[in-house]
Amino acid sequence: MLSLVNLSKRFGDVVALDGASFDVPAGRIVGFLGPNGAGKTTAMRCIFDLVHPDTGEVLWGDAPVGPAERLRFGYMPEERGLYPKMKVADQLAYFARLSGKNRQEAKDDAAAWLTRLGLLDRADSKLEELSHGNQQRVQLAAALVHNPELAVLDEPFAGLDPIGMESMAETLRELAGRGVGIVFSSHQLDTVEDLCQDVVIIDRGRIVLTGELSRLRSSARLRHLVIEVDDQAWSPDGEEVTVVVTRTGDRRLLVEPSVDLDALLAAARTAGTVTRFSFEPPHLSDLFREAIQ
Amino acid sequence: MKRSFAQTWEIARRDLVQRAKSKAFLATSLLVVGMILVLGPLIANELDDPPPYRVGVVGAADEEFGAYLDVAAASFERDAVIERFDDLAAAEQDLEFGDLNVIVVDGTEIIWLEEESSQLNSVVLFALQSIERRDIAEELGLTSDEALALLAPPAPEFRTLREPDPEAEPRRIGALIGSILLYTSILMFGQFVMMGVVEEKSSRVVEVLLSRVRPTQILVGKVIGIGLLGLAQLALLGAVVWFTLTQFSIADISLADIGRDVIVQVVFWYLVGYTFFAVIYAALGATISRQEDMQSVALIPVALLIPGYFIALLSLEDPNTTLSRVASMVPPTSPLVMPMRLAVGGVAAWEVAVALTLLAAASYGLIRLGGRVYTGAVLKLGPKVKLRDAWRAAGQ
Repeated sequence: MLSLVNLSKRFGDVVALDGASFDVPAGRIVGFLGPNGAGKTTAMRCIFDLVHPDTGEVLWGDAPVGPAERLRFGYMPEERGLYPKMKVADQLAYFARLSGKNRQEAKDDAAAWLTRLGLLDRADSKLEELSHGNQQRVQLAAALVHNPELAVLDEPFAGLDPIGMESMAETLRELAGRGVGIVFSSHQLDTVEDLCQDVVIIDRGRIVLTGELSRLRSSARLRHLVIEVDDQAWSPDGEEVTVVVTRTGDRRLLVEPSVDLDALLAAARTAGTVTRFSFEPPHLSDLFREAIQ
Repeated sequence: MKRSFAQTWEIARRDLVQRAKSKAFLATSLLVVGMILVLGPLIANELDDPPPYRVGVVGAADEEFGAYLDVAAASFERDAVIERFDDLAAAEQDLEFGDLNVIVVDGTEIIWLEEESSQLNSVVLFALQSIERRDIAEELGLTSDEALALLAPPAPEFRTLREPDPEAEPRRIGALIGSILLYTSILMFGQFVMMGVVEEKSSRVVEVLLSRVRPTQILVGKVIGIGLLGLAQLALLGAVVWFTLTQFSIADISLADIGRDVIVQVVFWYLVGYTFFAVIYAALGATISRQEDMQSVALIPVALLIPGYFIALLSLEDPNTTLSRVASMVPPTSPLVMPMRLAVGGVAAWEVAVALTLLAAASYGLIRLGGRVYTGAVLKLGPKVKLRDAWRAAGQ
């Protein structure tokens, strides 16, 4: 298990991390979520010593992470980049070598990943000759070619089309199934909520919410209601109710637990025929909004 | 430790192989090999067999002029060729184009292109004087023996304090070619290091690398890999030069031996000089993110190299001036000046020891310094990173 313990980092006047702590257990997919500039990339860079935290430490099990431990991790930075003029297979084998594999293992690992990603026929192509989507796949393979025990992926879904996103999600699920701990960051909370088992939500350098997603959803303070009257979304007047429109266009009501549901239903009935009155699990963005309030 | 070494070597290997495949490297290698194969024979030929004096003759000329000219030219180990012209303008045109060295008109006027050549002047004057003396002797009614006795120069005994070194001139030329090779190699492979650093930064692959290795490993690996490529190219060029030289010989001098000596010097001083400059190139390369910005920062190491190169050329004439001696011991000029002084000869062993010690110390300091600048700058994308900011960032 990877543990980030009380990490703090300032860049001049900017506080990038403010006592951030969270864990990435083996075999779990952890969504590391928050708006742009919240400190996600800085936290991930701390894992690889690309940024030295002012305070706090990164542990693998109980021991501090050093160069040897880092070779058991895979990292896909937010700023994508590989060698444009190098052959794809050579490139992957090179990264496997740098991760401590011998020449033959590195070659085999590279071929295995190219096969898995359906790129074996492009093994001898230069990276720049590949389509954008395939370059993204090679980028993922470069992070994972040495079969790490932990994958740290910074915005892996950025710039992917829906098919690419699904294929990426599939690969991550498969890895987690084999016991690889995965932490990936995203600023698009709702696009990744189906994938996360655990979430860590960060805002302005502070971890504002962390835990198993299903438990967080069930323990959300505000209730999420969808009420439709005559097949139209309906909402009452009143300050105890907040109306939000989700990404999919649903109008949801966020209500305090103290709100009298019977009274709400009665109010809806006076407006017409109630065709829907249902509790919905909160979206990640709802949890986030709640957490930073 | 072992793992760290294996990683650094892997970085070196990649840089070596990838750069060796690059068009820039292949093109320059072919170009230089071609130049050696073409120029080598020309230079060796020049040493072995200097071209004859070409003397244009216009108007009346004594029939024995050519014979006297040959005798005089022979004393400089040269031949003389006479070309006759009916028309002065045509002769002057040939002089303009360099087909003639001098024109003699009616045995009374000598025409040069810009200024006289003292050697050829004495040859021509000797021939003209000999004809005049012969005529005077005839007018006086002297027999040819009497005339000879009258004109015979005194015959004192000559001796020299030491034998001339027949190898001096070939060595000087070898050293000149060596200094050009050394300068261009350090420049070219230093620039390759900088290009490699900038490419990794602009393609952003450097962050993927840094998740696996430390910045100094990338720096050292790159310097080693590209340095080895430079060594391989020098070895290739050296072999071509050596092969070319074995095809020629001048009297008792082994050009191949001289060539080998110069090549050994160039290779050794390339290694120490390249290391010093490559680290500078790498650290400066890390401060920029785009190939377009390379020109401006690449000027800094060039400015450090050029004085050494010019002092090296001066050292070929006189390797023991104070300037040459100091410059041959102190970096950044020592890697270029010392091998030239060594090639010409007369360098004390302690001077070489001082040069190597200072260079090793400076290179070590530079690797520490350059490594820190590289570390601080290599993850900073965007506009040029100031050296001071890079230094501070690495300390954080």
